Order: sequence, then structure tokens, then C-alpha cells
Amino acid sequence: MPIRVKVRNAETGSTVDMEMENENTMDEIVRGAASFWNKNPGAYVLRRGKRLLRGSQTVLEVGLKDADELELIPDPEGGYRAPPQ
Amino acid sequence: MRGPSIVADQQANIRDLPPPARERTRAHKWLSERRLAEFKAKEKEGIELYLSKLAEEKIRNHALAHVRDRREVMGLLLGGIYRHDGTEYALVRDVATTDLDATDVSVRFDPRAFEKLFVQLDEIGFRYIIVGWYHSHPSYHCFMSSTDVQTQRTLFNLRAHSALVIDPVNKEIEAFFLDDGRVRSRPFAVFWDQFQSPYYGTSVRMRQTEVIVSGEMLEPDDAGNEERSGLRNDA
Ligand SMILES: [Zn+2]
Repeated sequence: MPIRVKVRNAETGSTVDMEMENENTMDEIVRGAASFWNKNPGAYVLRRGKRLLRGSQTVLEVGLKDADELELIPDPEGGYRAPPQ
Repeated sequence: MRGPSIVADQQANIRDLPPPARERTRAHKWLSERRLAEFKAKEKEGIELYLSKLAEEKIRNHALAHVRDRREVMGLLLGGIYRHDGTEYALVRDVATTDLDATDVSVRFDPRAFEKLFVQLDEIGFRYIIVGWYHSHPSYHCFMSSTDVQTQRTLFNLRAHSALVIDPVNKEIEAFFLDDGRVRSRPFAVFWDQFQSPYYGTSVRMRQTEVIVSGEMLEPDDAGNEERSGLRNDA
């Protein structure tokens, strides 16, 4: 039986409901949600509550349950190369 | 084995909400004369970014705390996106950050410290939207570097999203946004809640002749404490 979880886009407040199997990975969830919102999956991290859900962990390993709510959090980078001319 | 599939989606609604009243907003005191003039012009047509006094203080103190070691700081702007009278605007109520991987010319979250960030997000007390990010340029003025622009394009490409850049050495601050893919400066206002004095760090209730702060009686104070507030008196 697939489980169904909600993934929230923290930058807009929009959500998607995703169905997944125990073998699916967190990376696949991030990729699926990011591609739905036209985002670069590499620039986000996924959380459930205070826990960071890491890439290769599976649904089973993480212990995701039906109706869990996950959130996609941006992972920004600031840096100084050269000021614009 | 199939990948996860999306079976439903829900777009967030942009609520109609009047922005903070003008008498509860000010320009930031670190604006240059040019940015202050832009702020005054934008005030007439509709400000698109409001920063709470609480968020402003946290950002400024975060940046000032790393002046001596010249390290950049960074965090997320938490609030909401609203619409009123045809103007869409973002309201930043608070910020969240964690331990950083930072030098004088680069900054990002320490990957081992995300859980500390998530605890703050859980304890924030309102249903937030991450409406942008802030980071500091300790001593090299406010602009968007190529890395900053890349972050904005990748993560914060809605018109309502902002990047707030603060230089705590030169005491400058400026917000930016993407306008059809191009980076533009965004005038912003600092606002305070109805029951908060703009001149104190803590919440107070205004009375006719005195102000009560945590049970202590203080004389009302105007410009005397402006240094603590990040607000301009002349705007
Ligand atoms: Zn920068």
C-alpha cells in the first residue's frame, strides 16, 4: 500500500500530496516536488519537524507515515566575487 | 519501482490585508540619501516589503556581532505575502538562522546545523512563508554579487521575494528583488506593532504620560534611543 504525505513549499505556502512506496528515497521526494514547482532540487533540503531528511534514506528508514507533513526549505548561498561594474 | 507521484496540489492563496499603518512605519536609519529618496517616492505608490522591528533588530545585531571577525552572516526572512489595493507586498515578521559556514566573502548554513534552524521554524508561532533571505557584506557595501544573484534566481524568483543585504561596518542596508529576471533595489519600510514602542527593544504599552517596560516605569523617550531601534526620525 502506498502512503500519502503532504509536501509544503515554504517559499510560497503551496502544497502537494505525494504517494510513495517504502523503497522511495528522500531525494526522489525532493526531486518530484521541486520539478513540480520548477525548482532546482539541489538548492533545497527536506524536513519533517526538526529532523533533516537526507537524500538516500528511504521512506521506510525515515519512518514516514500516511498524512505526514514535510517541508521543502531553501538552502541559500551568499558570496562575494566582484562588485558589478 | 516507481518514484513518488503527485496526486493533488493546493496553491497558496494571497490574502487581502491592509499593510501596516503609515504612522507605524519608518525608513531604516542606515539608508543612504539616495535610497531614502527612493523610499519616500515608493511610499506614495505602495511599499512592497515591510520588515518588523523585531526582524530588523535581529538582522542588524546578527551582522554587528560579526564585525570584528569580519564574517558574513545569513538567515531566512519569515512572514507572509499579501495584497491590498492592487499592491502585492511581503511582510517579514521574524527571521531564523543557524550555525554558518562563513568567511569574510562567503556564507551558507552549516549542513550539520539544519536541525537548529528547523527548531526555530517550529517555534516561530505562525504559519510562515519564507519570503526571502538576508546576509551581510562586512565592509564592502550593499549589492548583489553573482553568487547572490544565482541564489535569488534559484530560490527566490517570485516578485514578492527579497534579498536583504546589510553592511554593518559602513552601516548600510538595502533590499533587492528580481524584476523579470533583473536585479533591482527595493525600498522597504520597518514597521512595529500597535502595542510596541518604536524606540525600545521590548514590547510596551503606550500610556498618556508613561511607558511601562516589564513592570518598570520609564519616561517616554523619543529620539534618545533611536540608536537602538534602526529607525529614522526624519522619514
Ligand atoms: Zn552577498
